[in-house]
Amino acid sequence: MIENVEDKLAAMIRRLQPDAEQVDIVDFMPIPGGFSRETFRFDAIVRTADGEIRHPLILRKDPPEAAAILHTSRADEHDLIESVRQNTSVPVTESLGYEMDRAVFGEAAMILRRAGGSPTTSDLFNGGCDEDQVDDVVRHLCETLVELHQSDITTIDPDGKLSDPRDAGIDTTDWDSYMESTFEYYINGYDDLNFDPSNCILLDAFLTLRRNKPQPLPLAVVHGDFNPANFLYEDGKVTALIDWENSRIGDPREDLGWMVMMDSLSNTNVMSHPADEGGFLAYYNKLTGHSITQEEIGYFILFGTSNIAVPVNSAIKRRVAGSSSELLHLYLIQSSAPALIGIAQLLQYPGVPA
Amino acid sequence: MNTSPSNDTLIEGVILALSEEIAPHVENPKALATLQMIQSLLQGVRQTQPIMDGYLVDEHNDMITTLAGTAEALGAVDGPAADRIRERAATLGQLAPLPAPHDATELVAAHRELSTAIESTFRDLDELQRSDVASADEAIQVVRAHLSPRYLRQVQAFSVGDGFVGRG
Repeated sequence: MIENVEDKLAAMIRRLQPDAEQVDIVDFMPIPGGFSRETFRFDAIVRTADGEIRHPLILRKDPPEAAAILHTSRADEHDLIESVRQNTSVPVTESLGYEMDRAVFGEAAMILRRAGGSPTTSDLFNGGCDEDQVDDVVRHLCETLVELHQSDITTIDPDGKLSDPRDAGIDTTDWDSYMESTFEYYINGYDDLNFDPSNCILLDAFLTLRRNKPQPLPLAVVHGDFNPANFLYEDGKVTALIDWENSRIGDPREDLGWMVMMDSLSNTNVMSHPADEGGFLAYYNKLTGHSITQEEIGYFILFGTSNIAVPVNSAIKRRVAGSSSELLHLYLIQSSAPALIGIAQLLQYPGVPA
Repeated sequence: MNTSPSNDTLIEGVILALSEEIAPHVENPKALATLQMIQSLLQGVRQTQPIMDGYLVDEHNDMITTLAGTAEALGAVDGPAADRIRERAATLGQLAPLPAPHDATELVAAHRELSTAIESTFRDLDELQRSDVASADEAIQVVRAHLSPRYLRQVQAFSVGDGFVGRG
């Protein structure tokens, strides 16, 4: 009987690489941080008839069912990453495989290759040690995003798994259907997320979004958590876009809006680069031929905030109602409170400083 | 009932013990993040407790004015959504203000009832705005103007440090 996680990982890697004669797992340790998944780093020393190779890997595992906020599939994430890796030049880490049987690792899990490059993107900004690379890195980041958004949806997602990954009734037949079905998801879900009527600003946000739809753009594969912490870089290039669990078919401006918001919250400055192109949005517009405005970006900040507010506040409501006992879900009340001010700013509430 | 040590002093003592006696012995990063969340929530409670009842009374009384003011801003518009807004103004919008201090349980229930009415008002105003009723745009600003200071002071009172312990 296999007892510990290292043995289980070794067994899984032997299954993924049938010519392996021996697999040893070393240096297994948790990677701190991250609310949505538990991650661990380790090396797998794989011996075959041709010799021995040491593989730097990551185990990415679902949290316990009761603690989960975003219910997504590691199998779908694996398929997406591999599709992006094989069909585009968007830099991603190889996904070696997944294990959906919860009996093995306790919860569903996947194994990824650890990408080269620095994850400390804050070094690119505010006088950090890699500030000289920032224009090149962000230029490449923008080109990478454009390539993702311009990729053929049916090539990246041939089975349509990204159309409605939350099983929320989203219809991606066309842009209007996507937006209307998403508003329906937000508004109909309000009763399941409002743990206190004082949070009615969320209802105001959902209704305001529905009343003020912007001009349509072609739907695209969106990353879904495109933020300053979700890429690695080296020598002026992005080496990997990471954390694809919230990826879906959507409006490409969702990724831009989310980056603007997280750029502000993270005290980074992605959106001001590449400077010689007038910043990220100007360069994105130049590469795509779109004319996305700051007003549209504001709209999609609100849209993206709503998209994450639904699962987060639903988890809080379950905790407040006593159907779970996760401390994290109580802590989210406190740590996400500043987002209320951000929403009030976007809705131009009187008396809220810009 | 003892008045000393106060509840605040007791909570402060727990936060201190977590920092000095527990945290140095915690090696698991997830457990350490949870410990920091506990400390942050306890500190948030310490900061909120002394002001909470006063804020609730203020907000309760301002919601009464807001519900009445929303109907006034809407004016003589026809239709069921407008009727519902006027009905709230004629009932909840005419309640007597609560004095402070007040019974905490009654205060929470009264505050919740009026907040739910504000929630319903957003739905009704949306219905009117979607029907191009211009005065609904003005009326929604009455509600938003009431909510702005609530959110600002709630965040100011409850937030501790930079937030998002455990976020990579």
